[in-house]
Amino acid sequence: MRSTMTAVLERSALVRDELATEPYELPWAGEARFFVQAHELTGTLELTTEISPDGLTWCPADTPPVRVETPGMTSWLVTGFGQWLRVRCRVSGDDAPAARLRIYLVGKS
Amino acid sequence: MERAAPVIDAGLSKYDPLGRILCFDRFDSTTHGWTELIGNYDGSGDLGTVDEHMRDFRPPQLSNCSFFDVGTHGTLSGKYALKLATRPHRGHTATGIRRLTMAGRGRVRIETYFAFKAEATVGHELPASVAWDGNRHPSESQFGAFTVATDICADNGVRYHNVIRYQNTNLAGEMTQRWMYPVVPEPTPRDHQEGKFALPYAADFTAPDPDDWRTFDEPLELCVNEVPTKINWHYLRWDIDTRTRKNVELRLNDRVMDMSDVPVPVYPDRYSTLDNLLNFYFSVRTHAGIRNFLFLDSVLISVDW
Repeated sequence: MRSTMTAVLERSALVRDELATEPYELPWAGEARFFVQAHELTGTLELTTEISPDGLTWCPADTPPVRVETPGMTSWLVTGFGQWLRVRCRVSGDDAPAARLRIYLVGKS
Repeated sequence: MERAAPVIDAGLSKYDPLGRILCFDRFDSTTHGWTELIGNYDGSGDLGTVDEHMRDFRPPQLSNCSFFDVGTHGTLSGKYALKLATRPHRGHTATGIRRLTMAGRGRVRIETYFAFKAEATVGHELPASVAWDGNRHPSESQFGAFTVATDICADNGVRYHNVIRYQNTNLAGEMTQRWMYPVVPEPTPRDHQEGKFALPYAADFTAPDPDDWRTFDEPLELCVNEVPTKINWHYLRWDIDTRTRKNVELRLNDRVMDMSDVPVPVYPDRYSTLDNLLNFYFSVRTHAGIRNFLFLDSVLISVDW
Protein backbone atom coordinates (compact mmCIF):
# COMPACT_ATOMS: atom_id res chain seq x y z
CA MET A 1 0.00 0.00 0.00
CA ARG A 2 1.34 3.45 -0.79
CA SER A 3 2.03 5.96 1.97
CA THR A 4 0.47 9.39 1.89
CA MET A 5 0.67 12.32 4.25
CA THR A 6 -0.94 15.74 4.42
CA ALA A 7 0.68 18.74 6.10
CA VAL A 8 -1.07 22.04 6.70
CA LEU A 9 1.73 24.50 6.03
CA GLU A 10 -0.36 27.62 6.66
CA ARG A 11 -3.89 27.92 8.04
CA SER A 12 -4.74 31.57 7.57
CA ALA A 13 -1.64 33.36 6.42
CA LEU A 14 -2.05 36.98 5.39
CA VAL A 15 0.19 37.82 2.45
CA ARG A 16 0.58 41.50 1.57
CA ASP A 17 3.74 41.19 -0.46
CA GLU A 18 5.47 37.82 -0.33
CA LEU A 19 5.53 34.71 1.82
CA ALA A 20 7.65 31.58 1.54
CA THR A 21 6.30 28.63 3.52
CA GLU A 22 8.46 26.90 6.10
CA PRO A 23 10.77 24.19 4.68
CA TYR A 24 9.02 20.83 4.57
CA GLU A 25 10.81 17.52 4.09
CA LEU A 26 9.36 14.84 1.86
CA PRO A 27 12.35 12.62 1.09
CA TRP A 28 10.13 9.53 1.03
CA ALA A 29 7.60 10.88 -1.46
CA GLY A 30 7.67 10.28 -5.19
CA GLU A 31 5.08 12.89 -5.81
CA ALA A 32 3.54 15.80 -4.00
CA ARG A 33 0.62 18.10 -4.52
CA PHE A 34 0.08 21.60 -3.20
CA PHE A 35 -3.42 22.81 -2.46
CA VAL A 36 -3.68 26.55 -1.91
CA GLN A 37 -7.00 27.89 -0.76
CA ALA A 38 -7.32 31.66 -1.13
CA HIS A 39 -10.00 32.65 1.39
CA GLU A 40 -9.56 36.29 0.40
CA LEU A 41 -7.72 37.73 -2.56
CA THR A 42 -7.21 41.26 -3.82
CA GLY A 43 -4.92 41.45 -6.84
CA THR A 44 -3.02 38.60 -8.46
CA LEU A 45 -1.46 35.74 -6.56
CA GLU A 46 1.57 34.00 -8.05
CA LEU A 47 2.63 30.66 -6.55
CA THR A 48 6.13 29.37 -7.27
CA THR A 49 7.24 25.90 -6.16
CA GLU A 50 10.74 25.89 -4.72
CA ILE A 51 13.12 23.03 -3.93
CA SER A 52 16.28 22.69 -1.87
CA PRO A 53 18.95 20.09 -1.17
CA ASP A 54 19.49 21.21 2.44
CA GLY A 55 16.46 23.20 3.57
CA LEU A 56 18.57 26.36 3.55
CA THR A 57 19.15 27.38 -0.06
CA TRP A 58 16.32 27.30 -2.59
CA CYS A 59 15.67 27.42 -6.31
CA PRO A 60 12.54 27.17 -8.45
CA ALA A 61 11.32 23.64 -9.16
CA ASP A 62 10.73 22.35 -12.70
CA THR A 63 7.13 23.46 -12.36
CA PRO A 64 5.73 26.63 -13.91
CA PRO A 65 4.38 29.25 -11.48
CA VAL A 66 0.62 29.18 -10.91
CA ARG A 67 -1.35 32.43 -11.21
CA VAL A 68 -4.57 32.96 -9.27
CA GLU A 69 -6.98 35.85 -9.86
CA THR A 70 -9.99 34.87 -7.75
CA PRO A 71 -10.59 33.35 -4.30
CA GLY A 72 -10.91 29.56 -4.12
CA MET A 73 -8.80 26.41 -4.20
CA THR A 74 -6.03 25.76 -6.68
CA SER A 75 -3.72 22.77 -6.89
CA TRP A 76 -0.73 21.47 -8.80
CA LEU A 77 1.42 18.36 -8.93
CA VAL A 78 5.17 18.27 -8.22
CA THR A 79 7.44 15.34 -9.05
CA GLY A 80 11.17 14.71 -9.04
CA PHE A 81 11.71 17.30 -6.35
CA GLY A 82 14.35 15.73 -4.15
CA GLN A 83 13.87 16.30 -0.43
CA TRP A 84 12.63 19.74 0.59
CA LEU A 85 9.64 21.64 -0.77
CA ARG A 86 8.10 25.04 -0.17
CA VAL A 87 5.93 27.47 -2.07
CA ARG A 88 6.63 31.15 -2.55
CA CYS A 89 3.46 33.24 -2.64
CA ARG A 90 3.53 36.73 -4.15
CA VAL A 91 0.61 39.12 -4.46
CA SER A 92 0.61 42.08 -6.79
CA GLY A 93 -1.82 44.67 -8.07
CA ASP A 94 -2.63 48.34 -7.92
CA ASP A 95 -5.10 48.49 -5.05
CA ALA A 96 -3.64 47.15 -1.75
CA PRO A 97 -3.00 43.60 -2.96
CA ALA A 98 -3.44 40.95 -0.28
CA ALA A 99 -4.30 37.29 0.10
CA ARG A 100 -5.50 35.16 3.02
CA LEU A 101 -4.22 31.64 2.40
CA ARG A 102 -4.56 28.10 3.67
CA ILE A 103 -1.86 25.86 2.21
CA TYR A 104 -1.78 22.06 2.20
CA LEU A 105 1.02 19.84 0.99
CA VAL A 106 0.21 16.19 0.27
CA GLY A 107 3.02 13.69 -0.29
CA LYS A 108 2.58 10.21 -1.74
CA SER A 109 5.15 7.42 -2.04
CA MET B 1 8.41 -8.04 34.42
CA GLU B 2 8.76 -10.36 31.45
CA ARG B 3 9.92 -8.94 28.19
CA ALA B 4 7.10 -8.51 25.74
CA ALA B 5 9.04 -9.66 22.70
CA PRO B 6 12.23 -11.62 22.00
CA VAL B 7 15.39 -9.57 22.05
CA ILE B 8 16.35 -10.88 18.64
CA ASP B 9 14.17 -8.09 17.28
CA ALA B 10 16.93 -5.57 16.57
CA GLY B 11 14.48 -2.70 16.70
CA LEU B 12 13.02 -3.71 20.03
CA SER B 13 16.15 -4.93 21.80
CA LYS B 14 17.39 -1.41 22.41
CA TYR B 15 14.22 -0.73 24.40
CA ASP B 16 13.07 -1.89 27.81
CA PRO B 17 9.28 -2.15 27.59
CA LEU B 18 6.85 -3.06 30.32
CA GLY B 19 4.69 -6.15 29.82
CA ARG B 20 2.22 -4.79 27.29
CA ILE B 21 3.35 -2.67 24.37
CA LEU B 22 0.73 -0.20 23.21
CA CYS B 23 2.73 1.15 20.30
CA PHE B 24 6.19 0.84 18.80
CA ASP B 25 6.64 3.54 16.23
CA ARG B 26 9.44 3.42 13.69
CA PHE B 27 9.10 6.06 11.06
CA ASP B 28 9.72 4.11 7.91
CA SER B 29 6.12 4.63 6.85
CA THR B 30 3.90 7.48 7.93
CA THR B 31 4.04 9.38 11.20
CA HIS B 32 2.31 6.55 13.12
CA GLY B 33 -0.24 8.76 14.82
CA TRP B 34 2.15 11.51 15.86
CA THR B 35 0.35 14.57 14.60
CA GLU B 36 0.36 18.31 15.05
CA LEU B 37 -1.40 19.69 18.11
CA ILE B 38 -3.81 22.54 17.52
CA GLY B 39 -6.07 24.41 19.92
CA ASN B 40 -9.84 23.92 19.87
CA TYR B 41 -12.17 25.75 17.44
CA ASP B 42 -15.85 26.62 17.23
CA GLY B 43 -18.75 24.74 15.65
CA SER B 44 -18.29 26.38 12.25
CA GLY B 45 -14.70 25.21 11.89
CA ASP B 46 -13.46 28.77 12.13
CA LEU B 47 -9.76 28.40 12.91
CA GLY B 48 -9.75 32.07 13.84
CA THR B 49 -11.28 30.91 17.13
CA VAL B 50 -8.19 28.86 18.00
CA ASP B 51 -6.16 30.38 20.82
CA GLU B 52 -3.41 32.55 19.35
CA HIS B 53 -0.65 30.64 21.13
CA MET B 54 -2.01 27.23 19.99
CA ARG B 55 -2.66 27.83 16.31
CA ASP B 56 0.75 27.17 14.78
CA PHE B 57 2.54 24.15 16.23
CA ARG B 58 3.72 23.00 12.78
CA PRO B 59 3.19 19.64 11.06
CA PRO B 60 5.64 16.83 11.91
CA GLN B 61 7.89 15.68 9.07
CA LEU B 62 9.63 12.46 8.13
CA SER B 63 13.33 13.23 7.76
CA ASN B 64 16.40 11.27 6.78
CA CYS B 65 18.42 13.91 8.64
CA SER B 66 20.20 15.52 5.70
CA PHE B 67 22.47 18.51 6.12
CA PHE B 68 24.27 21.07 3.95
CA ASP B 69 27.74 19.71 4.68
CA VAL B 70 27.45 15.91 4.55
CA GLY B 71 24.16 15.24 2.79
CA THR B 72 22.16 12.40 4.25
CA HIS B 73 23.12 11.54 7.81
CA GLY B 74 20.43 8.93 8.38
CA THR B 75 18.77 7.70 11.55
CA LEU B 76 19.40 5.05 14.18
CA SER B 77 16.87 2.40 13.18
CA GLY B 78 15.54 2.92 9.73
CA LYS B 79 15.11 5.26 6.82
CA TYR B 80 13.40 8.17 8.49
CA ALA B 81 13.00 9.94 11.80
CA LEU B 82 10.04 11.99 12.96
CA LYS B 83 11.16 15.61 12.88
CA LEU B 84 9.56 18.49 14.77
CA ALA B 85 10.70 21.87 13.49
CA THR B 86 9.96 25.30 14.91
CA ARG B 87 9.74 28.49 12.97
CA PRO B 88 12.73 30.84 13.27
CA HIS B 89 10.77 32.93 15.77
CA ARG B 90 11.75 33.42 19.42
CA GLY B 91 9.47 31.36 21.64
CA HIS B 92 7.87 29.37 18.84
CA THR B 93 7.00 25.74 19.65
CA ALA B 94 6.51 22.71 17.41
CA THR B 95 4.65 19.66 18.68
CA GLY B 96 3.87 16.06 17.86
CA ILE B 97 1.04 14.45 19.82
CA ARG B 98 -0.16 10.85 20.00
CA ARG B 99 -3.69 10.11 21.18
CA LEU B 100 -4.60 6.91 23.05
CA THR B 101 -7.00 5.88 25.78
CA MET B 102 -6.39 3.79 28.89
CA ALA B 103 -7.70 0.24 29.26
CA GLY B 104 -6.41 0.10 32.82
CA ARG B 105 -4.49 1.98 35.47
CA GLY B 106 -0.90 1.60 36.55
CA ARG B 107 2.63 2.06 35.29
CA VAL B 108 3.06 3.68 31.87
CA ARG B 109 6.46 3.91 30.18
CA ILE B 110 7.44 6.02 27.18
CA GLU B 111 10.82 5.43 25.59
CA THR B 112 12.51 7.04 22.64
CA TYR B 113 15.83 7.54 20.91
CA PHE B 114 16.09 11.21 20.05
CA ALA B 115 18.40 13.96 18.92
CA PHE B 116 18.03 17.72 19.05
CA LYS B 117 19.62 20.46 16.98
CA ALA B 118 19.46 24.11 16.09
CA GLU B 119 19.37 24.76 12.36
CA ALA B 120 22.81 25.33 10.86
CA THR B 121 23.70 28.93 10.09
CA VAL B 122 25.49 29.14 6.76
CA GLY B 123 26.98 32.35 5.37
CA HIS B 124 25.95 34.35 8.41
CA GLU B 125 26.03 34.12 12.20
CA LEU B 126 23.44 34.68 14.87
CA PRO B 127 23.97 35.85 18.45
CA ALA B 128 25.20 33.06 20.70
CA SER B 129 26.52 32.74 24.25
CA VAL B 130 29.05 30.12 23.15
CA ALA B 131 31.94 30.93 20.83
CA TRP B 132 33.51 28.54 18.36
CA ASP B 133 36.82 27.19 19.68
CA GLY B 134 37.20 24.17 17.44
CA ASN B 135 35.29 22.00 19.92
CA ARG B 136 32.37 24.04 21.20
CA HIS B 137 30.14 25.79 18.68
CA PRO B 138 27.63 28.69 18.82
CA SER B 139 24.88 26.29 17.70
CA GLU B 140 25.07 24.61 21.09
CA SER B 141 23.54 27.70 22.69
CA GLN B 142 20.97 28.27 19.94
CA PHE B 143 18.75 25.37 21.01
CA GLY B 144 16.05 26.25 23.54
CA ALA B 145 14.25 23.29 25.09
CA PHE B 146 12.42 20.07 24.39
CA THR B 147 9.50 18.68 26.37
CA VAL B 148 7.85 15.30 26.82
CA ALA B 149 4.43 15.37 28.41
CA THR B 150 1.11 13.62 28.86
CA ASP B 151 -2.50 14.72 28.83
CA ILE B 152 -4.50 12.33 31.00
CA CYS B 153 -8.11 12.49 32.13
CA ALA B 154 -10.16 9.85 33.93
CA ASP B 155 -12.23 9.06 37.00
CA ASN B 156 -15.02 11.59 36.48
CA GLY B 157 -13.04 14.23 34.63
CA VAL B 158 -9.88 14.52 36.72
CA ARG B 159 -7.27 15.84 34.30
CA TYR B 160 -3.53 16.34 34.65
CA HIS B 161 -0.27 16.52 32.73
CA ASN B 162 2.96 14.81 33.63
CA VAL B 163 5.67 17.02 32.15
CA ILE B 164 9.43 16.83 31.76
CA ARG B 165 11.45 19.46 29.96
CA TYR B 166 15.11 19.60 29.11
CA GLN B 167 15.97 23.29 29.10
CA ASN B 168 19.20 23.69 27.19
CA THR B 169 19.23 27.47 27.41
CA ASN B 170 17.14 30.04 29.22
CA LEU B 171 15.25 32.70 27.33
CA ALA B 172 18.41 34.86 27.35
CA GLY B 173 20.25 32.15 25.46
CA GLU B 174 22.50 31.22 28.39
CA MET B 175 23.31 27.54 28.83
CA THR B 176 21.33 25.95 31.67
CA GLN B 177 21.07 22.22 30.75
CA ARG B 178 18.45 21.55 33.41
CA TRP B 179 15.50 19.18 33.73
CA MET B 180 12.37 21.09 34.61
CA TYR B 181 8.69 20.63 35.45
CA PRO B 182 5.78 23.07 35.75
CA VAL B 183 3.86 23.62 38.96
CA VAL B 184 0.66 24.67 37.17
CA PRO B 185 -1.51 22.79 34.67
CA GLU B 186 -1.44 23.84 31.03
CA PRO B 187 -3.90 26.66 30.18
CA THR B 188 -6.76 25.18 28.15
CA PRO B 189 -9.09 26.62 25.53
CA ARG B 190 -11.90 26.44 28.08
CA ASP B 191 -9.82 28.54 30.48
CA HIS B 192 -9.58 31.09 27.66
CA GLN B 193 -13.32 30.91 26.96
CA GLU B 194 -13.91 31.59 30.64
CA GLY B 195 -11.66 34.66 30.51
CA LYS B 196 -8.89 33.23 32.67
CA PHE B 197 -6.12 34.10 30.22
CA ALA B 198 -5.37 35.32 26.71
CA LEU B 199 -1.89 34.37 25.61
CA PRO B 200 0.04 35.82 22.67
CA TYR B 201 1.57 33.96 19.74
CA ALA B 202 4.66 31.96 20.75
CA ALA B 203 3.75 31.89 24.44
CA ASP B 204 4.93 28.75 26.21
CA PHE B 205 1.72 26.72 25.98
CA THR B 206 2.77 24.11 28.55
CA ALA B 207 3.13 26.75 31.29
CA PRO B 208 3.51 30.32 30.03
CA ASP B 209 5.10 31.93 33.10
CA PRO B 210 8.82 31.04 33.47
CA ASP B 211 8.35 31.44 37.23
CA ASP B 212 6.01 28.44 37.18
CA TRP B 213 8.85 26.09 36.27
CA ARG B 214 11.13 24.29 38.74
CA THR B 215 14.29 22.24 38.21
CA PHE B 216 14.85 18.68 39.29
CA ASP B 217 18.00 16.59 39.48
CA GLU B 218 21.40 18.06 38.58
CA PRO B 219 22.47 19.83 35.38
CA LEU B 220 23.08 17.32 32.61
CA GLU B 221 25.22 17.80 29.54
CA LEU B 222 23.96 15.89 26.52
CA CYS B 223 25.89 14.86 23.41
CA VAL B 224 25.31 17.69 20.95
CA ASN B 225 28.63 16.77 19.32
CA GLU B 226 30.21 20.06 18.42
CA VAL B 227 28.36 21.22 15.29
CA PRO B 228 24.71 21.41 14.19
CA THR B 229 25.03 18.70 11.55
CA LYS B 230 26.06 15.70 13.64
CA ILE B 231 23.28 13.54 15.06
CA ASN B 232 23.92 11.41 18.14
CA TRP B 233 20.91 9.47 19.37
CA HIS B 234 20.03 9.61 23.07
CA TYR B 235 17.95 7.10 24.98
CA LEU B 236 15.10 8.44 27.12
CA ARG B 237 12.86 6.31 29.32
CA TRP B 238 10.17 7.86 31.48
CA ASP B 239 7.78 6.11 33.83
CA ILE B 240 4.58 7.51 35.27
CA ASP B 241 1.76 5.90 37.25
CA THR B 242 -1.82 6.58 36.23
CA ARG B 243 -3.22 4.84 39.32
CA THR B 244 -1.53 7.29 41.68
CA ARG B 245 -1.32 10.16 39.13
CA LYS B 246 2.37 10.54 39.87
CA ASN B 247 5.74 10.64 38.18
CA VAL B 248 8.01 7.68 38.85
CA GLU B 249 11.41 7.81 37.17
CA LEU B 250 13.27 9.36 34.27
CA ARG B 251 16.28 7.80 32.65
CA LEU B 252 18.49 9.61 30.13
CA ASN B 253 21.24 7.30 28.91
CA ASP B 254 23.12 6.37 32.08
CA ARG B 255 21.49 8.99 34.33
CA VAL B 256 18.53 7.66 36.34
CA MET B 257 16.42 10.26 38.11
CA ASP B 258 13.93 9.48 40.84
CA MET B 259 10.84 11.57 40.06
CA SER B 260 8.57 10.36 42.84
CA ASP B 261 8.76 13.77 44.53
CA VAL B 262 8.18 15.73 41.33
CA PRO B 263 4.56 16.93 41.58
CA VAL B 264 1.92 16.56 38.89
CA PRO B 265 -0.51 19.50 38.97
CA VAL B 266 -4.17 18.53 38.60
CA TYR B 267 -6.77 20.88 37.11
CA PRO B 268 -9.03 22.23 39.85
CA ASP B 269 -12.12 21.80 37.66
CA ARG B 270 -13.36 18.74 35.79
CA TYR B 271 -13.37 18.03 32.04
CA SER B 272 -15.88 16.22 29.83
CA THR B 273 -15.47 14.09 26.67
CA LEU B 274 -12.03 12.93 27.80
CA ASP B 275 -12.75 9.71 29.68
CA ASN B 276 -9.61 7.55 29.87
CA LEU B 277 -7.65 10.07 27.80
CA LEU B 278 -4.01 9.04 27.42
CA ASN B 279 -2.10 11.48 25.21
CA PHE B 280 1.62 11.95 24.87
CA TYR B 281 3.37 14.85 23.21
CA PHE B 282 6.87 15.88 22.33
CA SER B 283 7.58 19.54 21.74
CA VAL B 284 10.55 21.70 20.89
CA ARG B 285 10.81 25.42 21.62
CA THR B 286 13.31 27.89 20.23
CA HIS B 287 14.50 30.73 22.43
CA ALA B 288 15.94 32.72 19.53
CA GLY B 289 15.19 33.58 15.91
CA ILE B 290 16.46 30.25 14.64
CA ARG B 291 14.69 26.99 13.82
CA ASN B 292 15.08 24.27 16.44
CA PHE B 293 14.61 20.60 15.60
CA LEU B 294 13.73 17.52 17.62
CA PHE B 295 14.33 14.21 15.83
CA LEU B 296 12.72 11.00 17.11
CA ASP B 297 14.24 7.82 15.71
CA SER B 298 11.50 5.67 17.21
CA VAL B 299 9.10 5.69 20.13
CA LEU B 300 7.78 2.89 22.31
CA ILE B 301 4.90 3.15 24.78
CA SER B 302 4.21 0.26 27.16
CA VAL B 303 2.09 -0.39 30.27
CA ASP B 304 1.90 -2.90 33.10
CA TRP B 305 -1.84 -3.53 32.95
